[in-house]
Amino acid sequence: MDVIYRALCFIIDLFTSFMERIRPGWIERNKSKIDEWKLMAYAYSKSPIAVTGGILATITVILALFGPLIAWEPYWQYKVVVNPDLWLKPPCLPPSCSGYPLLGTDEWGRDIFSLIFYGYRISFIISVMVVVLGVPLGVILGLIAGYKGGYVDEVIMRLTDIFMAFPGLVLAIAFATILPQRIRGLLDASPQLKDFLLWIFALRPQEYGQLAALLSIFLALVLVWWPTYARVVRGTVLSVREQTFIEAARSLGLSTWRILIKHILPNILSPIIVFATFDLATAVLLAASLSFLGLGPQDPVPELGFMISKAGRFFPERSWWIVVFLGIVLLLIAFGWNLLGDGLRDILDPRTRRAIEVRARAKARAKAAKVKGG
Amino acid sequence: MGMTKFLIRRLMTFIPTIIGVMLITYIIAYVIPTDPVRAWVGGEKLLNPEALEKVRHKYKFDAPWYEQFSFLVISLFTGQLEDPVRHKLVVQELSYRFPITVEVAIFGFIFLVLISIPLGIISALKKDTPIDFFVRLFALFGSSMPSFVLYYFLILALFVYTRTTYLAGVPLPSTACMNMIASYPESIPVLGHIAFYIGQVPMFGAMMCGEWDVVVETAKRFYLPGLALGLLGGGFIARLVRNSLLDVLSSDYILFAKARGLPKTWIWRHALKNVLVPLVTVLGIQFGGLLAGAIIAETVFNIPGMGRYMYDSIARLNFPAIISGAFLFALIYVTINFIVDIIYALIDPRIRY
Repeated sequence: MDVIYRALCFIIDLFTSFMERIRPGWIERNKSKIDEWKLMAYAYSKSPIAVTGGILATITVILALFGPLIAWEPYWQYKVVVNPDLWLKPPCLPPSCSGYPLLGTDEWGRDIFSLIFYGYRISFIISVMVVVLGVPLGVILGLIAGYKGGYVDEVIMRLTDIFMAFPGLVLAIAFATILPQRIRGLLDASPQLKDFLLWIFALRPQEYGQLAALLSIFLALVLVWWPTYARVVRGTVLSVREQTFIEAARSLGLSTWRILIKHILPNILSPIIVFATFDLATAVLLAASLSFLGLGPQDPVPELGFMISKAGRFFPERSWWIVVFLGIVLLLIAFGWNLLGDGLRDILDPRTRRAIEVRARAKARAKAAKVKGG
Repeated sequence: MGMTKFLIRRLMTFIPTIIGVMLITYIIAYVIPTDPVRAWVGGEKLLNPEALEKVRHKYKFDAPWYEQFSFLVISLFTGQLEDPVRHKLVVQELSYRFPITVEVAIFGFIFLVLISIPLGIISALKKDTPIDFFVRLFALFGSSMPSFVLYYFLILALFVYTRTTYLAGVPLPSTACMNMIASYPESIPVLGHIAFYIGQVPMFGAMMCGEWDVVVETAKRFYLPGLALGLLGGGFIARLVRNSLLDVLSSDYILFAKARGLPKTWIWRHALKNVLVPLVTVLGIQFGGLLAGAIIAETVFNIPGMGRYMYDSIARLNFPAIISGAFLFALIYVTINFIVDIIYALIDPRIRY
């Protein structure tokens, strides 16, 4: 645990020295903030749940970044054409069946283990994009609704009501059905964007029709995502708005945007960060659910949910390994983010953070006393 | 009096929500670049242009969008709207599918409550012990499990290997029983209508006629999806129960009650009553979500419920069905919110409208 604390402190020091270089005097001015960060790092290193979540999330990120480079078999090679033995080959250990993939193959004879690396990339990118686009949208709308009040508030809240009245998955399905054609038109219009997105998802240029389906899933989720945030943020803004420091800022004549960004947002940021971490997990699962229903990319693209739904046809005798292994991958991605979110909730909340700290200090002191006494 | 006024005001805010939901659904449907009528009539080659024109005229596709929309809404309310793909009245289709979803939702809700509340109370009482840790882990697993994988394995364990359930068909009460329920509104003055609507849910209908074997069959058919839905959502609610129970147990009035030496059952009554307040909201939202149909569960467990219907309709661009479904969803959402508001006022004496 000490290693993690030191590593985090090193990162914080690196950041502060960088800020000091571009803005001399930065460390002096933000001394209390830096101390707080270090306390957070300490509390983080003392919470096993947060550390486990962090490790799982880091593995996910690394595999998502480098997975397609490691994957030894390209996903578009249908090996079953050459070697019919490879059709839904169950997993087995090398001595008994050497030359065959360790984790079995799918119905095109592709190595499941290799496909997992591609799947990581797609799920991860979709979830991150959903959260990065959907959360700020909700936060901004919630900030405006909470701070402005009156008609603006009423309109935005009715709109969130309308979006929340739909079950999320149904709305997402509706959007995912109507969006692909539009997105395809957009991609045709801007080839650079298309190439960039293909590179991000690690797909071949031939798969750009599937790319539109992938993007439609992601856009559908963004459109479904914002209402909860708008509602939560509005609620907290309403309670923060009446406090004295906001009144002081207003009487100093600061502009609305400056008050919102500089004074209100920092006060509601920590619950948003926690929710967003949880939502990375939910987005992974929802995206997989949508492609499980057949709305996402089609065949050569190794999307995890889609591959599980294909395997469902042969379940369990001829495809249990696909469901198990790809299910475990999905579970691990979501589990990592959920653990991290659970840990972060304890750390970002000042009350529980203090409790963690005090407990850890007391333990350390008891240990030191024992060493001295013994 | 304040209460009534508040409730009426609340009801008024629901009207724009319902209209907005239908309008947004319609707009989403309207921007589809393809011609939905072609998808309904089916068959690109064997297309009869006259039939196409006829259908197009029937659903006012030759009129501007607001006329189309008002046509859809008005014929939905008068019960005349026809499903162009299934050639049935939409109302008929909904009155077949929605009761089935209600059954699944009830089973899911029972399992949800049975799993979550005991676990939450136990883990609050045994705070910071292995049991507490296990509940925390269970909650996290529940929210990170891909639902379809869990469903597959439940089917494997409880259907393929042990055959304790089955995955086709929906048990219905006998025709005589259905006729009896259909005659209720005429024979009994006011309660008859309520009994009629409750009797539309096959399980309750069978209960009314005393056909208990149908009830048992229904339980056998639907306990598996219910268990699956309960397992997925239960952990999250168990955590909520635990946290709010801990908050309440450490509050001043419970300490005071303990200091006064009140009996344990009294302390529990005070504590649990306050835990109910946040719990009711979350359970209400969960039940509303279940009523809207769990699409994945309905797909995997082969249940002809609302979720499946909406999914099929969206896939076939079946506007009339989509709009009717959206209306039903909005109605459920609004009703659940309204009921939660009323329960709030009943259990929490601090809330005065």
